[in-house]
Amino acid sequence: MAELLLSAGAVALGPADLAVAATLVVVAGAISLALGLGLEKRLAIAATRTVVQLLLVGYVLVFVFDADAPWLVLAALLVMTIAAGRAAVQRSSRTFRGVHVQTFITLLVTGAFTIIVVTQAVIGIEPWYEPQYIIPLLGMVLGNSLTGISLCLDHLLETLDDRRDRIEMELCLGATSWEASRDSLRDAVRRGMIPIINAMSVVGIVSLPGMMTGQILAGADPLDAVAYQIVVMFMLAASTAVGSMLTAWLVYRKLFNDRHQLLSDTIRLRSQ
Amino acid sequence: MHILGGIGADEAALARGNDGLVSSLLQLRELAIGIGGRRLVAGLSLQLDEGEVVAVGGPSGGGKTTLLRTVAGLIDPLEGALLLRGESPDAIGWPRYRRRVSYLSQRPTLLDISVRDNLARPFRYGCAGGDFDHGVASRLLTELQLDEKVLEQRARTLSEGQKQRVSLLRALLVEPEVLLLDEPTSALDPDNVAAVEQLLARFEGAILLVSHDPAQVERLASGSISIGEVPDG
Repeated sequence: MAELLLSAGAVALGPADLAVAATLVVVAGAISLALGLGLEKRLAIAATRTVVQLLLVGYVLVFVFDADAPWLVLAALLVMTIAAGRAAVQRSSRTFRGVHVQTFITLLVTGAFTIIVVTQAVIGIEPWYEPQYIIPLLGMVLGNSLTGISLCLDHLLETLDDRRDRIEMELCLGATSWEASRDSLRDAVRRGMIPIINAMSVVGIVSLPGMMTGQILAGADPLDAVAYQIVVMFMLAASTAVGSMLTAWLVYRKLFNDRHQLLSDTIRLRSQ
Repeated sequence: MHILGGIGADEAALARGNDGLVSSLLQLRELAIGIGGRRLVAGLSLQLDEGEVVAVGGPSGGGKTTLLRTVAGLIDPLEGALLLRGESPDAIGWPRYRRRVSYLSQRPTLLDISVRDNLARPFRYGCAGGDFDHGVASRLLTELQLDEKVLEQRARTLSEGQKQRVSLLRALLVEPEVLLLDEPTSALDPDNVAAVEQLLARFEGAILLVSHDPAQVERLASGSISIGEVPDG
């Protein structure tokens, strides 16, 4: 049974509580079975992955928090960034050589930029590598940036591939590669920014963000939670914008050469 | 190495050697072209001067379009050099070079905006020397048998034949010195073909023309080359 943790003001959950929560998934599985949706197996796998992955992360976090070693925190941040880079690329239907390295660099730059500003200038954490702040904050930055980057990347590669005739037509009339691709680049950056702009527009009205909900559940003052959430939303907007623009710029540099030629052969369809 | 092509049919238009006059309008020097790692033509030298129209013939897939795209600087030659009035495109600057050596693809490509905006667009680029001249545009429209009303029409609503003529008009408005035309009248009826040909006949620069119509080549070209054929022996 749940016991009240007086120190943190939060209710700690035991295995029995998690088992009760699992019945919610079992209900969903039963509905799938009854209606013949065929989702029960996938639901079971997803639920199992959720438990295993989160438990693992939990133990890793306990280890990192207890170790109090900056190199360990940096190693964790690096692993997170690499994983986010892989995920950002995998969603795109088109690809090119070097896309993994490029996306990793983009996430590294945007992640480092926003996290340094937020943890050092805004929150002012002590010591600078305090994992309790830096790890979850980077997790949020990476999660949102990778969505923005993968949308931007996917849209840009598709557009440059599909609009080859149009871009070359403009080049033939004297456009520079920048002039010929500017519309495509702008559209792609916009595409990457849409989710975060939508989220910022409805935050608090339609949805209570996960972090704020978590803080309130953990017993924090709602206004403190709101202040943190505002910082987080600005952080996510900045990182998504920087990530999308950097992605567009790097793709542009990759797909055009200094003779203002579109290297459309560089784009490959991802084999499914 | 001469693997394929570079075989001329007309002496006047054919290669005048690598040491031709530096001042000739456009010079192709020992050009080797290819696409996707495949070599299509090698050792092609050609010199074009004002008023010359050279037809490029040869079998389908032999490299005619690749040649025009290479001369336009959309793809690099495998070997050799291009010179416009003795200057390399690198020295001129590629956007400026492409404006002076204008390639018109077989598929007319217009932006999804009005015809007027399509025609005016090249004047917004950094290398544009002047402004869009409505008077010149409307005179050329008439010559190409297009109603001036099309200017306000959205480009996507035009027929293929109209698109082809608007594309040609747009290329002419930037006043190129060389036109690289790939099947410029493929979507036109005979009346419109005649109108286009009359306009091209008055073009003062040089034209490199790919056309599947032998009669058109006969009417327009002052010389011809054939590429992509395997020489006997």
